[in-house]
Amino acid sequence: MAARTEQEERTEESAPPVRRGSRRPVATVVSFFGELLITAGLVLGLFVVYSLWWTNVLADREAGKQGDTVRGHWAEGRGPGELDTKDGIGFLHVPAMKNGEVLVKKGTDTETLNNGIAGYYTDPVKSALPSDAQGNFTLAAHRDGHGAKFHNIDKVRKGDAIVFETKDTWYVYKVYAELPETSKYNVDAIAPVPKESGVKKPGRYITLTTCTPVYTSKYRYIVWGELVRTEKVDSDRTKPAELR
Amino acid sequence: MYGWIWRHLPGNTWVRGLISLVLALAVVYALFQYVFPWAEPLLPFGDVTVDGEGTGAGAAR
Repeated sequence: MAARTEQEERTEESAPPVRRGSRRPVATVVSFFGELLITAGLVLGLFVVYSLWWTNVLADREAGKQGDTVRGHWAEGRGPGELDTKDGIGFLHVPAMKNGEVLVKKGTDTETLNNGIAGYYTDPVKSALPSDAQGNFTLAAHRDGHGAKFHNIDKVRKGDAIVFETKDTWYVYKVYAELPETSKYNVDAIAPVPKESGVKKPGRYITLTTCTPVYTSKYRYIVWGELVRTEKVDSDRTKPAELR
Repeated sequence: MYGWIWRHLPGNTWVRGLISLVLALAVVYALFQYVFPWAEPLLPFGDVTVDGEGTGAGAAR
């Protein structure tokens, strides 16, 4: 008798799901819940793929486009003077980071930085420009995702070169201090004279900021450099020795 | 859930498989195009600046 019922059940497995569900409501609920969990896991996994890979693809594409625009303007003889800062003021080269050139634009809001570029601060402390007689040229860029332009900031050591390229000048900076971990409230790090780095007198400084540890934004990583010399850009845009 | 969807798809196994694949790709596309860009600023992974305020997504400003 029992064997027969089992056989009946087996034949009923292909029966309409309503009947099957009503007969094993607990199993249905449990399997539904399990499938939801699996789905949630897959979605989170996809989010990681999105954050660490896809945003880089998009940002690099966009940064390349915007960089070409700026270089196009330079070739035409426009910018990056005061009139044309919106499209970008130049390119940052940090050989130690091995990431090629990074376009630098005004502002550090999320939308700007998400295009795979570095931004110079306008708030809370206004950045100086490299051409200014003195001041601190303060920059921020993403550590991960959205181009991850400052991903290798931890590879930058004291003495390494940071070169900023504008239309007509190469500004060659030398790293003299770094701060691997600081609070995000540490606004003094981007002060015109960043005392925390050990300097006391006004000078021509550069400050790179990004988040740390990698893949999070708990703290900020700071690298300070000081201008050592400038070079005029020649007609071939010959790179300074540090980039060769 | 997935079993229910599978049973309600038309056609034989191959057709169902193909439709399932298209549906899965559509979901991934929707996630990458709309859901993730919306969710990302709400999560505190992309703040790179120092500032005085520093509250969640606002810290990136």
